[in-house]
Amino acid sequence: MQGIYKAGLLTAVGLVLLYAFQGYYPDFMYFFSNTFPPVIAGAAVLVSGLSLERYWRMSKGRFPVIWLYFTAGLLLWFIGEAVWAGYTLILGEELPYPSVADVFWIAGYIPFFIALYLYVKLFGNTLNKKTIAISMVVTATLTILAVAALLIPALHAEEDLARLVMNFAYPLLDLSLFSVAHIGVLIFLKGKLGRPWLLINAAIAANTFADILFIYTTAQGTYYCGHMLELPSHLAYLFFLMAFYIHTKEL
Amino acid sequence: MTQKTVTFEKILMEAVDEGLLMLGETGREVVYFRLRHSYALSKEDVPAHLEIFVECLKKIFGSGSRAIEKAIIKSLYSKLGLKYVEKKDFDFIECLNEAKMQLRKKLSLKV
Repeated sequence: MQGIYKAGLLTAVGLVLLYAFQGYYPDFMYFFSNTFPPVIAGAAVLVSGLSLERYWRMSKGRFPVIWLYFTAGLLLWFIGEAVWAGYTLILGEELPYPSVADVFWIAGYIPFFIALYLYVKLFGNTLNKKTIAISMVVTATLTILAVAALLIPALHAEEDLARLVMNFAYPLLDLSLFSVAHIGVLIFLKGKLGRPWLLINAAIAANTFADILFIYTTAQGTYYCGHMLELPSHLAYLFFLMAFYIHTKEL
Repeated sequence: MTQKTVTFEKILMEAVDEGLLMLGETGREVVYFRLRHSYALSKEDVPAHLEIFVECLKKIFGSGSRAIEKAIIKSLYSKLGLKYVEKKDFDFIECLNEAKMQLRKKLSLKV
């Protein structure tokens, strides 16, 4: 079990160093920035798929269904990453924003949300009303903060409606995942399942951070392939992968 | 050990089995595996070592263990033909003791 933490830490440190010294290898960084996301997302789909296979073969009840939704969500995100990489590296075209890749990325949130909801609902009767009220206040506050943070660049950027909608959709969808996922942490924190739930929450937080930064940098025209903001997005896939691996080992 | 105690323990064991099924068969096997390896308890030992069973659930599921405990209690009450009323401060062992008391009352009324 310790092996996965060591491998995760090594990968994370390696990624940070790679992005920190990118000035020395800009061409490689362009290639890496486009190829690594489908690779790490594909690895996350694989781990989730193996968990699905195990639960499907050995279990009845909700768990196989939950993992089917998790895997479907990750698969759609993987397709989104692959489409982006395919256009950029193979066809040599810069994808517009929003593009067909965004369709897959946005669609991926739906099964992922359902999976989180079904899982948390299974254990939901352990929470008292006070905890649920606090968690609702936290989610509402974060949503207001995210919208407030996005409002200024969105209004100044003079973007078309589709782009404006996308700018708000990603962080709000991230927060919708967080609204359910943080309840999972509250339920399982003191147990062994707390670790995978912490990793799921870390992944969602990293994605939210990356999405907000992406909107800021594209609005200012400062985004480029290999930008540091890609790091939290890569780490998010790594955290998802680790979460599903550890969950399957624990249960 | 009286016949009544043996029967109650058997029903409790079935209720534990059923309650753990909310995790699916894999999840149930993992709990029994942990009980065997970390506490040297078999599935049949659970009724006699309930505190250990509760501790094992907490170690895996944290506060989520209460959902499993509630599922077990509901299954037990239903098997015994008793009415289960959920209390604000749920306690697994307390609920079991109450089930035993209710069962005793029920049986003495019949006699």
